[in-house]
Amino acid sequence: MRPVAAVAWAELLRFLRDRSNIFFVFVFPMLLVFVLGSTFGGAGTQGGVRVVGESGALRDALVAQLESQDLSVRMADEDEALEQVSRGRAAAGLILPDGVEEAYARGDRIELEIVPTSGAAGLAMRQQVATAVETLQLDRAALGALTQRGIEAPAAEAALDAARGRVTPSRVTVRDVDDVAQAFSGVGQFEVGATSQLLLFVFLTSLAGSSTLIQARREGVIARSFSAPVRSGQVLLGQTTGRFAIAMFQGLYIMIATTLIFDVDWGDPLLAVLILACFGAVAAGAAMLLGSLVDNEAAASGIGVGLGLVLAGLGGGMAPLEIFSDTLRTVAHITPHAWAYDAFADIQRRGGGMIDILPQLGVLLAMAAVVLAAGTWSLRRSVERSL
Amino acid sequence: MAGDEDQVGDTRGAVDDVLVVDGLSRRFGELRAVDEVSFRIAPGETYGLLGPNGAGKTTTISMVAGLIRADAGTVRVAGQRMSPSHPQPKRHIGLVPQDLAIYPELSARENLVFFGRLQGMGGADLKGRVQEVLELIGLADRAKDKSKNFSGGMKRRLNIGIGLLHEPHLLILDEPTVGVDPQSRNSILESVERLSTAGMAVLYTTHYMEEAERLCDRIGIIDTGRIQAEGTRDELIRLTGGVDQIRLAGTGDLTHAIESLRELPAVEQVDHDGLALRLTVHGAPTAVAEIVTRATGAGMSLADVEITRPDLESVFLQLTGKALRD
Repeated sequence: MRPVAAVAWAELLRFLRDRSNIFFVFVFPMLLVFVLGSTFGGAGTQGGVRVVGESGALRDALVAQLESQDLSVRMADEDEALEQVSRGRAAAGLILPDGVEEAYARGDRIELEIVPTSGAAGLAMRQQVATAVETLQLDRAALGALTQRGIEAPAAEAALDAARGRVTPSRVTVRDVDDVAQAFSGVGQFEVGATSQLLLFVFLTSLAGSSTLIQARREGVIARSFSAPVRSGQVLLGQTTGRFAIAMFQGLYIMIATTLIFDVDWGDPLLAVLILACFGAVAAGAAMLLGSLVDNEAAASGIGVGLGLVLAGLGGGMAPLEIFSDTLRTVAHITPHAWAYDAFADIQRRGGGMIDILPQLGVLLAMAAVVLAAGTWSLRRSVERSL
Repeated sequence: MAGDEDQVGDTRGAVDDVLVVDGLSRRFGELRAVDEVSFRIAPGETYGLLGPNGAGKTTTISMVAGLIRADAGTVRVAGQRMSPSHPQPKRHIGLVPQDLAIYPELSARENLVFFGRLQGMGGADLKGRVQEVLELIGLADRAKDKSKNFSGGMKRRLNIGIGLLHEPHLLILDEPTVGVDPQSRNSILESVERLSTAGMAVLYTTHYMEEAERLCDRIGIIDTGRIQAEGTRDELIRLTGGVDQIRLAGTGDLTHAIESLRELPAVEQVDHDGLALRLTVHGAPTAVAEIVTRATGAGMSLADVEITRPDLESVFLQLTGKALRD
């Protein structure tokens, strides 16, 4: 295995020595994950309520009511609340105007403003906030009625608490018929972006890196390797392993960096790495094929970048597959990206396990077997042709 | 190679000679690139394959080094027969290809370590040998520099160092001076001479006659895939009959001059190529004075006299009917 490891290590070293990779391999993916997450990502429909207003009895009571409905409540100023609602990071904003606390204390009529997101979750949230306000008002009216009947306030409050405890609260569930919203329910701000960028960059980096294979072939390094006491299969396996190591390096870097920087949840880490390995094997095979079929490094880089972008665009590496039409989604599955995307979606969003992603892994491995065999055969022929 | 079974009975090839090539052939489609090529190289001997571009030199050494398979024939290195299923004899071969087959992104040391690992070397042995080679090729102080930043000569030295790293019995150099400046070229030739003196067998391909004459103990003249002749320089020159050429350019009564010159005992043949007279002569330096006297006496007005003594170029010309650089 020493010759295989030597060739693979040399290829990985060459990849890491390329200064242009510092930006395109390390910086650019993170920038895109950040931009995509900031622009389109969001805690989404479960993002809770942003409450705007001065501290006081009314605000405290409303927050307690909302939290009793398992809603996430955070204080914010008005601009921040409106921005977060407009970006979909909060389901609704509840604005307590100036003077409302005093009006509440006097028992006067109060007016609050609710700013919901569009869609089913926003409607539900609006209703939950309205219910919380009404409940507060009813409690206040009931307390007033009891004290008017001569019951001391503490006793009246205790009686109301006891009455509430005897009633099983009604529960209204919201069924969201928006498939896209359902698909991303519970997904963190950067998760979809991180997955798509992983698919995009693992393939793109591998294909663009095929130019180094052409260079090694053209300059006779691969041919010279055959003069060592090794079998030609060992040299070819070393080249394949080198391409695979580059794909894995890129993928693992994105996984680790997005976990540390953006708190992305990749699901079961072992399964995530397994999906990456299957996808990386396809990318490595494609790089071998491109690097042995094309004789010009600049042409290979151009074709690699073009092909990488097209496949990523078609396969969920740029936009989520869930927003594709049914037909386009079917077509997307000619790409390895779509199968890897589905597998990642299974373990990240649906709590899927090994059994659930077996079909996707099987397809990826079959694709890898085909392109690796074709790439190895083509590389052997191209090296022989050059002698 | 054709057939994998080791053949016995050729005791000289198996024991004495570092390299024994026997009946090596290779076709590329309809083209017979190498046709029944056979030669041997003894320890400390430098064998030159001299021929023009496209003669079959690189294809021959590619088969010897195990880069491509032969359609027929055998190669034995250090007594062991090469075959695709038995690559171990390659351990005895150091290949220095014509191209700079090094990784430009890796340093000189990393390139040597990489190829050393392919040779099965490792650990302290590899580390020590890499340092030795770096010093041998004069790159010890640039060991950590990426080879893409090296001058052409330094890259050439590294290219040769890789071939020497594992201390092979046979060093194959494929036109190592092509595109090299005169200073680096001389340095390469001196290195080859030192290695040969130290006992290494060298297979050297070139289309430069001067290099073959300077370096090679024996020379195989190759053209159209076949060894046309083989021997020491003197043996090859004797193939031409050892005759010199004298070219007389001028005007006047050329017909009379030809008749007069043919009478001289040293002159074997006189031809007229339209521009000048071409004489095939034994002992041109001593005969030239008489030849000039006869020609002018016969009415020829001489403009130029050129003497050509036989060399490998003329051997090649005589054997193939074309010049080495055609």
